[in-house]
Amino acid sequence: MLDFISENRKPIITLALVTVVAYVFYFLDEIKTTSVLVFGWGYAVPLVLAAMVGIIGERTGVVNIGIEGQMLMSAFASFFGSVITGNIYLGMVIGISAGLVMGAFLAVAAVKWEMDQIIAGVVINIVAAGLTSFFYAPGKTLPQLMPVVSIPILSDIPLIGPVFFRNGLFALATLFIVLAVNYAIFKTRWGLRSRSVGEYPSAADAAGINVLRIRMVNVTLAGALAGCAGAFLALEAAGTFARGLTAGRGFLALAIMIFGAWNPMGALAAALFFGLSTAIASQLQADEVINIPQQFVNLLPFVMTLVVLAIAVGRVRPPAAAGQPYTKEG
Amino acid sequence: MKRMRTLAGISILALVLAACSSGSSDTAAEETAAALDDSNCAAAENFCVGLVTDIGKVDDKSFNQSAHEGAMAAAAEVGGFYKYIETTDTKDYAANMAQFTDKSYDVIVTVGFLMAEATVTAAKANPNTKFIGVDQFQGEEVANVTGLIFPEDQAGFGAGYLAGLMTKTNKIGSVLGLEIAPVQLFAKGFEAGAKKSNPNVSVTTVYHPPADNAFADPVWGAAEAKKQLAQGADIIFGAGGGTGNGALIEIAKAEGAGTSIFCIGVDTDQWFTVPEAQPCLITSAVKGLTEGTTDLVKKAFDGSIAGGNFVGSAGISDYHDFASVVPMDVQDKVAAEVAGLKDGSIKTGVTL
Repeated sequence: MLDFISENRKPIITLALVTVVAYVFYFLDEIKTTSVLVFGWGYAVPLVLAAMVGIIGERTGVVNIGIEGQMLMSAFASFFGSVITGNIYLGMVIGISAGLVMGAFLAVAAVKWEMDQIIAGVVINIVAAGLTSFFYAPGKTLPQLMPVVSIPILSDIPLIGPVFFRNGLFALATLFIVLAVNYAIFKTRWGLRSRSVGEYPSAADAAGINVLRIRMVNVTLAGALAGCAGAFLALEAAGTFARGLTAGRGFLALAIMIFGAWNPMGALAAALFFGLSTAIASQLQADEVINIPQQFVNLLPFVMTLVVLAIAVGRVRPPAAAGQPYTKEG
Repeated sequence: MKRMRTLAGISILALVLAACSSGSSDTAAEETAAALDDSNCAAAENFCVGLVTDIGKVDDKSFNQSAHEGAMAAAAEVGGFYKYIETTDTKDYAANMAQFTDKSYDVIVTVGFLMAEATVTAAKANPNTKFIGVDQFQGEEVANVTGLIFPEDQAGFGAGYLAGLMTKTNKIGSVLGLEIAPVQLFAKGFEAGAKKSNPNVSVTTVYHPPADNAFADPVWGAAEAKKQLAQGADIIFGAGGGTGNGALIEIAKAEGAGTSIFCIGVDTDQWFTVPEAQPCLITSAVKGLTEGTTDLVKKAFDGSIAGGNFVGSAGISDYHDFASVVPMDVQDKVAAEVAGLKDGSIKTGVTL
């Protein structure tokens, strides 16, 4: 326990500070603080999920810049899947499946065909933008609303409860997904193998790990998380589909992945930071108490990303084999 | 090798689809009969009208669609040829207009405030083509550019006046797109109108963070609307293309939508363009985009068009199903106010 605290001193202090500040504001203005945090977490959810896709990919050695396209396809599939079947749950399944298919496409292109990974990602983005605008039909509505679920006990905690534990299904699942991905990457055999494949594939191969298979499986499964992010946007956050619904969130997620140092918990913190500063930017406009032009407030997360990366130079580095196709020798 | 070929095939398919959807290929663009093609627009008897959208599509349920319908109707009426190009990147404005000027189109309609500069540049290079800039205020007069502008502040003022009378919590809000002149006029007019009919009202004004997607981010719009509702606003004005539509759809889902919580649309009568918002949509602050575009294209046809600015009409749309919800005396007051704005006896007092 003491070891854990001394090893993680900085994150624990930060977390404690943020919590204290949040509760101070909560006691000053309960409604505003809660609604700002709800906005912030809602903004962060798709970014966190999409960042997980990027992390799993790069930790295994495959750069995925097609997250935007994967999300867009899934959002499209989940929305029109719900409309056609008349059932939002079937729509969720269809959306996640679409993510899996898009993940599998990247896996086949980047790992099996050894195509340039950046180009494969760009192809996914273009295919998704083209297909979803071409087949988009305006004027459709969801057959039912995404139910809001409250987790007993946890949802009664002031502030934290309504923000994190009283939500639609995807937003609720996101916290657990992050914890699961974090555990899987750092504490399981699969995680160790994946990381070795991402750092030094030839050594992993020599140790008897099937490099290509693990890359194929990981990139495909990560697609399902992009599917969750897309379905969240269409079914839960917007309740509709529009062309270009993802609005660049897939690319923002890559910045968050780097900001979070290719670490799921780091990405969660980074996404929360992005979400919170967006929420605060909008609240400052609404209150007109402090007269800072909103453009400056909205710059904050991006400036912070640069600062963090500049400070952390040398300590933060991408997985060594990210972006390199692996060909077995001999 | 075979794999690479499959892959190349897929990429080409994708590019073709993307191109089709953006309407720049000949097969996808909508064409009206009359003059059958645009191969001889230079001939005096052939009247060709081209339209370039801003980032957005001609079925965006908002300003691109309205201008598109107006231009198409005018071209059909005078027996001209009509074609549109949807812009997908702000860097393509000039290239898209060049597609029309290269074929000597008679009239080019460019839609949106952001295209103002590109339009004037193209007009100076092509003095024989008439340019109609929808939402483009002309600071200095160029002989062949006509800016179709609207008193957005009047439309916003009418909507705000109604909101001020309808609010029970004395809190109303607006969820807006990019912070540019037409949107600011709507927002400031909305605030001024609400303050006039109800001095106790507080108005929340929130613009989307500046970005390319400011008019196409329904997710952000929905989240912002939800936040304002939680903070007690009971009437919200969604003004900003897809972003505003996201807000309207979110409000339509809220508890009390249509009884204690209402939303107000923008640009066109959104009762028809965003049917999902019908549960809460009491009215829309409208600009006469379609009529204005039709008028100007017809003026260009008969040669009576002049450079400078052409002021279209603005106001609020029908109440539709909410005609029975909005009390009669409120309807009368709002109608009197809108009429006063139109004949100039009432001023909004909005300045940028």
